Amino acid sequence: MNALQPRIRILWVGRAIISAGIVGGVGYAAATYTDVPVEWPIAIAGLLLVVGVLHALLRYRNWRYEIREDSLYLERGVLTEVRTAVPLVRIQHVDSRRSALERLVGLASTVVYTAGSRGADVRIPGLTPDDASALRERLKRLAIEADGEDAV
Amino acid sequence: MKLSPISVPYRAVQKGGGLLFMLVFFSSTGAAGPGGLVLGLGAIAILAVSIGYELLYYRRFSYELTADTLDLSSGVFNRREREIPYGRIQNVDVSQNIIQRALGIAAVNVETAGGGSTEAVIRYVSAETAETLQTDVRDRKRGRDRREGVIADEPATEPEALFSIEPSELALVGVLSFDPRVPGAILALLTGSVPFVSPILPGDVSGIGLTVLIVVVGVAIIALSWIVGAISAVVNYWGFRLTQTEDELQYERGLVQRYSGTIPFDKVQTVTIEDNPLKRRFGYATLGVETAGYAPGQANGKGSEAAVPLASVDRVHRLAHELEAFGEPEFTRPPKRIRRRYAVRYLLAIGALTAIAFAITRFYTIPFPWYVPVGAAVLTPIAAHYKWLHRGYWLGEDHFVARSGFWNREAKVVPYYRIQTVIDTRTIFQRRWDVGTVVADTAGSLSVLGSDAAALDIDRADVERVREELTDRLQASLEERRRDRKPASGFAWIDTVEDPALPNPVDFDSLTPAITAAGSEDADRSIGSTKADPSPDSTKADRSPDATDSDQPDRPEE
Repeated sequence: MNALQPRIRILWVGRAIISAGIVGGVGYAAATYTDVPVEWPIAIAGLLLVVGVLHALLRYRNWRYEIREDSLYLERGVLTEVRTAVPLVRIQHVDSRRSALERLVGLASTVVYTAGSRGADVRIPGLTPDDASALRERLKRLAIEADGEDAV
Repeated sequence: MKLSPISVPYRAVQKGGGLLFMLVFFSSTGAAGPGGLVLGLGAIAILAVSIGYELLYYRRFSYELTADTLDLSSGVFNRREREIPYGRIQNVDVSQNIIQRALGIAAVNVETAGGGSTEAVIRYVSAETAETLQTDVRDRKRGRDRREGVIADEPATEPEALFSIEPSELALVGVLSFDPRVPGAILALLTGSVPFVSPILPGDVSGIGLTVLIVVVGVAIIALSWIVGAISAVVNYWGFRLTQTEDELQYERGLVQRYSGTIPFDKVQTVTIEDNPLKRRFGYATLGVETAGYAPGQANGKGSEAAVPLASVDRVHRLAHELEAFGEPEFTRPPKRIRRRYAVRYLLAIGALTAIAFAITRFYTIPFPWYVPVGAAVLTPIAAHYKWLHRGYWLGEDHFVARSGFWNREAKVVPYYRIQTVIDTRTIFQRRWDVGTVVADTAGSLSVLGSDAAALDIDRADVERVREELTDRLQASLEERRRDRKPASGFAWIDTVEDPALPNPVDFDSLTPAITAAGSEDADRSIGSTKADPSPDSTKADRSPDATDSDQPDRPEE
């Protein structure tokens, strides 16, 4: 089982900090204009920060992926544990992509599409750009080998 | 081929109609004077422009059935040429509203897998042309399959009547329909108006009077939503008819708007059998069919399309087995301890309701006995028990069957080879009870509403096993289908022999569940079935080797 790049924590923790900061800022501004004590929004933002950071760290710790003999297997989730098995035969196409934020920390993700209604896209974040491309190529090759004519 | 000439004025009025109406309205109120004249001229100009546009549209629009594709070329400003291979076509739907029926024209929608939008929209051709288009596409699809040797050569069979709704059944569909959107909408209205209503209410109204008022309003809401549901069901399913050709189901329905369409057997992803205590009481059930990426009639704004809105349990099971021969499921239920969890959940919901009632009565100082919902707590053990009783999964020979629902019980049948991904989830609460959920995701479109085939709340030890089992069986069934298909890839002699290697020849004697076995002949008679020999082997043989057509076109990126 492969883990994600540890650097992904920077991204996720950063995201938690930013959203807590926004909530805190808006709350603080609202509190100063009303007669709500200023401590309230600060406390809420603090709580959000702790929970968000904890969630991000646990999320990193629980993320695992693996290419098995005939499927791509993922394990993830903090509050809800999710395990997905994507049969290679079902893969429609594979993307590797880098968002602006991901580029900041030098990471990329690979996205796998199936025709399914629910697992329509399976995204593996926190890969190095080279790994993401390699994974894409490998999945593509495996999907072709697996004879994708049964894709639906 | 061209559209029907009538489509020009019809489309023009349809498009320019709203604006025209507005102008006519203004000119009639503003009456005489230069203003009225300008408006009148404006109306004429609009009509002229839209007729001109529609004329051009009519001239540009043409469709053609070539040997392999349905070709469309259209567009006044932006030209578009489109070729749709017959093999990719999922459904050809014809619909007519009441005006179109009077004019004798019909709209044809051609759907392929994937994509939420309709691939080819032909507006409008004459009703007869629509019908021939429908059959032509089907014939060509079959002709093409035959040339490839995929499908055994058989004379095109005449459509066979499978089911047609009788007035009494239609009435029952109406009676058993309940539109849940109505109470929702009314409640939303009412809660919004509480602050305005409460000051109007006499301050000294007694608690009893208010309770009576609330009960009366509640009953009225339920009656109204029931009537709305009944009317819409009757209008929708008026004259419902289901016929079968060798490789597809055809349906027809509708009073005001007439729908007809096809469900090809080889595009069927899942089959759903649904009932509720009322339907069970009278021995009826509903059959739903999902095809890839498209549920027939979804353009109607409805997420799901019942293949059979209501029929006797026996009949529904026969039809379901004709689509998927899944045998007789023996469900494995979640562990019994989970009933406590359901009871707790219901109690929590009741608690929340009570708290809301309490808050409202306090806030608006209404003397309403807020503790009334607590009475429902007595029912929670029963509800929890039934919720547990109805949940279950079954790993059949070729199918995964999952059932759930406390009131609306729903059994979903998924052939292993239709499974797309297998997902197992365990929420924080499920972990506490040591259970999990396994979802078999398919390409069907109903699943968007969250009603995937799922083994809910099964024991932790089973979660792992079911997930592995599902993926393994998917691989095994794909392997099997690939083997069966091998000769088809090259040259093959076309024979009509029944292939014993094919999975699951339908055995009609074992289809009907034991409970209804005694009444099967009665059921046949009562529904007016004319299906004497369903020749199940040929049906199965036609469908199973042919999955190559259902590859989906790439979905647009999100």
